[in-house]
Amino acid sequence: MRRREFIKSSLTVAALTALAQTGISRAVAASKLKVGVMIPLSGPAALFGPSSKNVAQMAAEKINAGGGILGRKIEILFGDAGLPPAEAAQTALRMWRGNGCEAFVGMHNSAVRGAYNNVFKGQVPYVYCPNYEGGECAKGVYYVGETPAQSVVPTMKWLAGEKKLKKFYLIGNDYNWPRDTNVIAKKTIAELGGSVVGEEYMPFTVDNFDSSLAKIKETGADMVLITLVGGASVTFNRAFASFGLSEKVMRLGTLIDENTLLGIGAENSKNIFSAASYFANVQTKEAKDFAQKYAKKFGKKAPVLNALSGSAYDGLIALDTIAERAGSLSTKKMDAVAEGTEWDSPRGRAKMANRHLTLDIYLAEAIGANFKIVKTFPQQNPGNFCKA
Amino acid sequence: MEVTATFILNLVYVSATLALVALGLAMVFGLLGVMNMAHGEFVMLGAYSVYVVQLAGQHFLWSIPLAILVCAAVGWLVEWSVIRHLYSRPFDTLLATWGVAILIRKGTEVIFTRDYKSVNQIMPGTVDIFGVSYPAYRLVLVALIILLFVLLYAWYQRSKAGLKIKAMVQGPELASAVGIDKAQLSRATFIIGVSSAGLAGVLLAPLVRVEPYIGLDYLMSSFFILVVGGLGTLEGLLIGSTVIGGTDALISTVFDKTAGYMSVLLISILFLWLRPDGIFYRR
Repeated sequence: MRRREFIKSSLTVAALTALAQTGISRAVAASKLKVGVMIPLSGPAALFGPSSKNVAQMAAEKINAGGGILGRKIEILFGDAGLPPAEAAQTALRMWRGNGCEAFVGMHNSAVRGAYNNVFKGQVPYVYCPNYEGGECAKGVYYVGETPAQSVVPTMKWLAGEKKLKKFYLIGNDYNWPRDTNVIAKKTIAELGGSVVGEEYMPFTVDNFDSSLAKIKETGADMVLITLVGGASVTFNRAFASFGLSEKVMRLGTLIDENTLLGIGAENSKNIFSAASYFANVQTKEAKDFAQKYAKKFGKKAPVLNALSGSAYDGLIALDTIAERAGSLSTKKMDAVAEGTEWDSPRGRAKMANRHLTLDIYLAEAIGANFKIVKTFPQQNPGNFCKA
Repeated sequence: MEVTATFILNLVYVSATLALVALGLAMVFGLLGVMNMAHGEFVMLGAYSVYVVQLAGQHFLWSIPLAILVCAAVGWLVEWSVIRHLYSRPFDTLLATWGVAILIRKGTEVIFTRDYKSVNQIMPGTVDIFGVSYPAYRLVLVALIILLFVLLYAWYQRSKAGLKIKAMVQGPELASAVGIDKAQLSRATFIIGVSSAGLAGVLLAPLVRVEPYIGLDYLMSSFFILVVGGLGTLEGLLIGSTVIGGTDALISTVFDKTAGYMSVLLISILFLWLRPDGIFYRR
């Protein structure tokens, strides 16, 4: 299987490089700078696509208003990252070699990131936007999303102290992000002197959580850490509340965004906490301006802003800032100057450390179908994954 | 004790809702031989009816007539334009209805976008029963489903329409010969089948996520139930739902959800292999 895929992709690379040599990619050399923005346009995560698409356009306008990147106006090409990793990689390859994209910004899952890494191999700058499990430091890749060290650790510690929590139940979908996040969560729980009373990973197709809810009740858990994604999170949280568990048991998630909360519904949201580097109603001046501009440009009915679109916006700003500092789009030069690059964005102050960002983290509590920021954890360290 | 009671209540709830969801598919497949791949989309339309009624600020109960109206209209259109030409070609109906499913899904996406819709909880809160506090709405739902099935059973066994359907299924030529309008009866059966899916969507909407793609989940579980229970009888449908729901619940409780889901798939494979006609099968 591996071998066949390898042969297939090598052939495609060969074919496309040959194609590129015929001039398709050279034609763009001195004109606009094409940036490939890879977001899920299909598949289960397509839900998160529209708002990210909108903010990418906003970011591009902002960058172009300031003269573009390295004096070149940018043009955004959207690619579908909602496909299975192998197909998503083909799309990226086509955009890079065929359409002449010179940089990429991606807002998609880790499996697709792995596939892109294999395509780009550090030859083209690639900013990875959403929060993820941490642990990577690939050449030419800049991670602007939160790691569990930033989002899970401080918020969990604070909540546990504030609400006197001792028994923790971990539930997530069955793939690497929830599993890796929980490895870190378990360490934190041990430090807190608490105990893990349950750990469960659900297939994506599950829409009945009765057995898990019975276990949560039986074990007397006082907090559930949720790493379920999208629809699974909605169904789980609705059922959770219908059993009356929401009165006594805290829920914390790092991917419960505004849209997921809307699906969960106002009656079911009691004691839900969400941790992220951005929420639509963060009250800093920069965030307010951003939300206002967004509402003005896309209307009141536009897809809601959330942590993912906040990251996607920052992805383009990161690309601009680092490239300007390096004076080049060469990944070697960008890697060399990335450390310590700083900028302000709707998410707050961001500073690159070990290819990740030191960020302000917000803990928000669900009040009805809206989030209210209850605590800000300033300038959280992403952790260092760049050691050899 | 409390754990056992919760488990039994969950089991009853799961079996009842599965049976309700699968009912329409069982009718259409069992009686007409049409594998309706758009079945889940009618459940989805039902769930969106609740959302629309909520937007309009009306009472939840209005979503029942709305869902039935919408599903019946769409069902009529589908039957008239596609299905009626394909009655004796089961595989073609499968492909055609798959296309219809995509159309309905995308249509919904265009109108309502991909976002999750927040449907208000009906009867929030719990009721103490057998020493367990159980969601009130779930109990009402189970009672409603049981009532529906009793009525349906009585109607199918006693009424003249039920008799005509049986005649049509058992001997199509003879049925035409004695003056039963097969085309009209088939259309009515199809419409009733998809409307019952819409009704299931309404009743489940307060409990589940509402977005354009939920139909696929319901299609899958309905299909498993028909594989186990067999076609054409209400008993088979109920037994299929209990076997599928029960296995999932039991294995998930003892082991975990992945094992539960795997056991459902295993059972379906075993049935397809060893008893392709299901537990109950009557010609």
